[in-house]
This record gives sequence, structure tokens and C-alpha cells, in this order.
Amino acid sequence: MEVPSKSHEGWQDIVTGKKTFELRFLAAKIMLGRLVRGVHDNPTPQNIDSRIDLLYNLFAQNSNSITVQADIKTIFGK
Amino acid sequence: MNQSIITASDVQKKISEGRYLLLAGDESVLEQLPPGNWIGGTIPYFITKEHGGLASREFIFVTDITDIAQSVSIARYNKDTLANVYVEGPKQDFSFILIPAATDTHLSFAMNAPNYKSFGMSPLIGWIAGVHLDDIDTKTPKAFDGSTGGMIEDGALVMRVELKPGKQAEIGIINLFEQGDGDTLTFPSDGFAAREAMVNGAPQNYAAYLRAHNLDTRLPIVADYYGALVSVSFQCINEVENMVHFYAPVFNGIEYKHAKPVDDYVAAFDAQARKVVGLDTDNVVFSCNCVLNYLFSNLENKKTGAFVGPMTFGEIAYQLLNQTLVYLEVKDC
Repeated sequence: MEVPSKSHEGWQDIVTGKKTFELRFLAAKIMLGRLVRGVHDNPTPQNIDSRIDLLYNLFAQNSNSITVQADIKTIFGK
Repeated sequence: MNQSIITASDVQKKISEGRYLLLAGDESVLEQLPPGNWIGGTIPYFITKEHGGLASREFIFVTDITDIAQSVSIARYNKDTLANVYVEGPKQDFSFILIPAATDTHLSFAMNAPNYKSFGMSPLIGWIAGVHLDDIDTKTPKAFDGSTGGMIEDGALVMRVELKPGKQAEIGIINLFEQGDGDTLTFPSDGFAAREAMVNGAPQNYAAYLRAHNLDTRLPIVADYYGALVSVSFQCINEVENMVHFYAPVFNGIEYKHAKPVDDYVAAFDAQARKVVGLDTDNVVFSCNCVLNYLFSNLENKKTGAFVGPMTFGEIAYQLLNQTLVYLEVKDC
């Protein structure tokens, strides 16, 4: 399954906490527990981009997982 | 699922057949086993299908993954090289890790795993080896490497599992402890001990706070990681130093709350398991739970359905957890 590119606004929405989702992928939940707080404490564009990189890579590396595919649909609606 | 509690001689037979095994048992029985495709950690507490909760120094808990695994390999790490555990992990399969408790590697993994390079890039599940509580001052936890017949008292053993084609692994957790309605706690630094906590933003001596509020330290503090409830268990309060010690680190910037009590662990567990996994538990390949749940919830002779396995000194699902059941499902894809 194709993971939406890092420029998709959905990545920014999730790491900034603008939107929250009920996800199933445990590693993503653990990572997001830290990423969202990290962006909240330091909301610079560079920090947001680096957090998006981490989250994007996690989803891309696990994109064959049925659970990850379900979470991508939850976040991006496709 | 292929999990059972059997004698050392029955385990020897499985090893001689070349089966791929994840083992848990007392040191005295694990050290009898011949080389083969297995790794094992020391612990004499289990939840079994047959007997429910059980403490035994004679039996070995066996998780036989031969039917789902194409191949396995075993790697050893130390506290420094363990930072590569995700980078070197299989991309689509899973890794199973054992770390002896109260070692430098245990502490390092607990503190640093969330920041390891490529965190979560492949499923990592396992547990922290321990000892019988009667032996806590006389024996050390160990992990056994069946590929060499060797044993480690510090470091980590990792079995890399390549699954058969058309299968994929997924890790889940069942933590019955929810955040209570009390104060929000944060800690000024990462660590296994804390002298001070910020209570609703105001600094207080944490040991004094626990005493003043008469809080039950059999219940963990709980953080909410984007919907995943992560518990940190209390080890003790050092009255001399006025320090609170934990079985896993607290992290700066994470908000914790003391857990709500769980009145009936087994009933609550059954309800939560049905909610998380559903009625079809055939895909559950491995699980382990915390020895503190075994002790504090009086699980001896009590059953937790399809979720059987060792009761450990720490559970690993990508990172170290406390008082939580972790499980591995292997599904067709």
C-alpha cells in the first residue's frame, strides 16, 4: 500500500495534535505519545518536519501490515 | 497457538527434533537443555492453559513457533549494541528479545529504546528474565542461548524470526490499569527513581506525596501514549533518601496519573481481551504478563483464556512496559 507523501497535510495535522485519531498500530501510538508532546513544546517548522520524517518512515516501513493500512485509511481517508 | 508447560525431558525431545522454541523456566531446568534452535529466560512463574497461574521450578513453559517460522537466527547484544536492535531487525517478520533483570542492559533498554534508531521498524516483543522471589538475594536472572549452549547474565538475546510466506506479525498489549481521576504528575528528569514530582504543575517530594495521600503502590502510575496506556510500577519508597523507585523509568514531559483499582483482575481481563482481540484468539502465538499482576491479583490457579505464558520482571512490546500483558499475533496476509 502506498503511504501518502510527507508533504500531505495529514502528517502535519497528526504530529501537531490538530487532529487526533484512534489508531491500532502500537508502535505508532507509542511514537506519537512522544512526538505530539515534542511538537507542542517546540513547534518550529524544522521540528515539525523532523517529527513527520520519523512518523512517515515508521508507516512506510510497516506499510504491508494490515493494521498499518487500516490506520492510513483512518488518517488520510483512502 | 502452540504453548504448553512441560518437563525438561519433553523439551529435550522437541529440541532434538529441530523445533524453534521460546522457553521460560527456572535456571536449574534451562541449564540442562542441549543446544538447538531455542532461547530461554529464567522465571518460575507462569499462566498455563491447564492449571492457570502456577509457580514451578520443575516445568518449562514452551512456545513452539516451528509451524509459523521459515527460519530463525539468534543474536547477542550488549547495552551499547542493543541500540541497533531495530536497524538490524527483520522488515516484515518479528524479533523476540530476552534481557536479564537488574542489569546495565535492562536499564539501558528501558531508558533508551523509544529513541533507538528506526524505533518500531519491525515488531519487537519479549520479556525481562527474573528469579523466584525466594531467590532474589541469592540468584541472578539469566538468558540462555540454545544455539551455543551459552548463558548471559547481562546483555540481550534476540531471536530473529523469518515467518513463512503469507504471514505477518502484530504486537498488542492488554493493560487493565486506566488512569484514575486524581492529580496529574510529571517528572523533572528521566529515570528509575524520583525524589520530586510536579503535582498538577507544582513541585512536591513524591514520597511524601504518596504517604500523605495514602496511595496504593501496588497500583502503577499510567501514561496515555496516544491511546496506548503505559504503566510504570512502584518498586519501593526509600524512606531514608525520600526517593521513590520504579520498575521502569518515568520520562520527563510525559503526564502520569495513579491507576484506578481493578477489583477482579480475571473478569476485567476477559472483558478487555474480548474487546481488543475478539473471540478468535487462534492467531495469538505468544504472550507474557507481569509477575506483579500474578502476585497482587492473586492469579495462582486462575486462568486468562488463550493468553498464557511466563509472568515476568518486565514486558517488552517495542519498549519496556510494567504490569501489562503483551502478545504477539501472527496472521495470514
